[in-house]
Amino acid sequence: MNKLLEIKNLTKNYHTIEGECEAIKDFNLEVKNGEIISLVGPSGCGKSTLLSIISGLDKEYTGIINKDSKIKMAYMLQSDALLPWLTIYENALLGLKIKHNMTKENIEYVDYLLDFYNLKDFKNNYPKSLSGGMKQRVALIRTLALKPDILLLDEPFSALDQQSRLIISDDVYKILKKENKTAILVTHNIEEAIIFSDKVVVLSKRPAKIKKIIPIDIANKDSIYERRKDPNFHKYFDNIWKDLDNNES
Amino acid sequence: MSPEQKKFIKKIKINKIKIWLCQILIIILFLGMWEFFVNKGIISSFIYSSPSRIIKTVIELINNHNFFIHIFVTLKEVIIAFILGITLGFIIALILYEFKFLAKVMDPFLTMLNSLPKVALGPLIIIICGANSKSVIVMALLINLIVSIITIYNGFLCTDEYRLKLFKTMKASKIQTLTMLVIPSSYQTIIASFKLCVAQTLIGVIMGEFLVSKQGLGYLIVYGKQVFNLNYIMTGIVILALISYILYKLIVLLENKLLKHLRD
Ligand SMILES: Nc1ncnc2c1ncn2[C@@H]1O[C@H](COP(=O)(O)OP(=O)(O)O)[C@@H](O)[C@H]1O
Ligand SMILES: [Mg+2]
Repeated sequence: MNKLLEIKNLTKNYHTIEGECEAIKDFNLEVKNGEIISLVGPSGCGKSTLLSIISGLDKEYTGIINKDSKIKMAYMLQSDALLPWLTIYENALLGLKIKHNMTKENIEYVDYLLDFYNLKDFKNNYPKSLSGGMKQRVALIRTLALKPDILLLDEPFSALDQQSRLIISDDVYKILKKENKTAILVTHNIEEAIIFSDKVVVLSKRPAKIKKIIPIDIANKDSIYERRKDPNFHKYFDNIWKDLDNNES
Repeated sequence: MSPEQKKFIKKIKINKIKIWLCQILIIILFLGMWEFFVNKGIISSFIYSSPSRIIKTVIELINNHNFFIHIFVTLKEVIIAFILGITLGFIIALILYEFKFLAKVMDPFLTMLNSLPKVALGPLIIIICGANSKSVIVMALLINLIVSIITIYNGFLCTDEYRLKLFKTMKASKIQTLTMLVIPSSYQTIIASFKLCVAQTLIGVIMGEFLVSKQGLGYLIVYGKQVFNLNYIMTGIVILALISYILYKLIVLLENKLLKHLRD
């Protein structure tokens, strides 16, 4: 497997009036093609900052990030961030429109995705008529429409109720595997980290440092339900739980 | 439709009719009592006029004093000042939003202008613009513009941070972010600022007409005071009340048309 992304000695400090704030310290990571990596760590430790830097949104850091300039990245956020004045279809096409990339092929791909996720009948509806889970699915389609090489998922399921969370995360898992996508997932949820990933990166409290990288060796790649049944699941869980900084207030 | 649903819809409709009836009743009662008390001499007809006198005055004004020209002049000033106010307000708010540094620099001056009683500038405006309609419009503009700028600008600032981040992650240009996100996000605030602006414009126009004009409803009121005909004053006030209500309703109509899908 070839390397898509390499992060070396990444350090990031925020400067505010109140003072300097170390967000990331000496962070090293390699991301291979087709790999799904989860970042778990206490809230406020610097995970979102890390994704911002990887995506190129935040350029103020020290260290080296090696990546092919052709690599496309796309984000999925905690909030679906759908625009209420656009229909579901227009929302799904938003990224393509912004990037002036509304080719026939791309639009057909969005049509296919809407069909695949049973959203075709809601194409001309407005977001307010959809449930939280369905809206997040539209957000996923909007992200996939850009055909990214790396998906950056920043706690994408954390605003959903438990049931939608399971359904949508299974959707996302399946599509990532089917299309052999590379992804970096930020999550608070240890179970989610295990069942999604090939590797779980456990981060310390702020400033984010790598405490441990735990390779997840679960053979089943079909669905998160099956992966959860793996006999080693609890071993991984305990392992990650022990390493997380649980001694915060 | 189930019978329960039908019953529910009917209840809502009946409630609406009830509200209407009460409103009409209040108007009839108010006008009736006004007429009654004046006729019985309990309150002075000279000071308070009366509904029948107002109707007579309207007819007299139409016949002898070009009443419609007064209404037309005031309406024209209101509409020009309103359109200028919201257009300039919108453009200046956009500039402040795009150039945060400028916004910070301008902040104390805007606050100062906002709290300054603009009527104090009246004499200055008259000297600069002359005693004409232009002065009235400038007066109204001074009053409505600051409010428009501040409300629309605050609307832009309230754009959802996740949506802004989304646009950033999709590498949207500044123009795209403005036209596809920031401005549509603020439709509701912009319409709200229209409502404020109408009220402020009316204040400004009438104040301006008090100071300078030779025509308009404000002039009619001042003229009524000068010749001690309080029927003119009351008529002016009643017509103004009707105009402000109609303008407000027009904006609500626009609001319902534009904002149908916007509520999250
Ligand atoms: N723009 C910013 N300016 C200053 N400090 C920031 C900024 N963004 C985040 N931080 C700080 O950096 C730390 C890490 O934030 P973040 O990456 O959002 O954490 P996480 O996503 O892991 O919850 C937090 O302590 C936060 O207060
Ligand atoms: Mg975060």
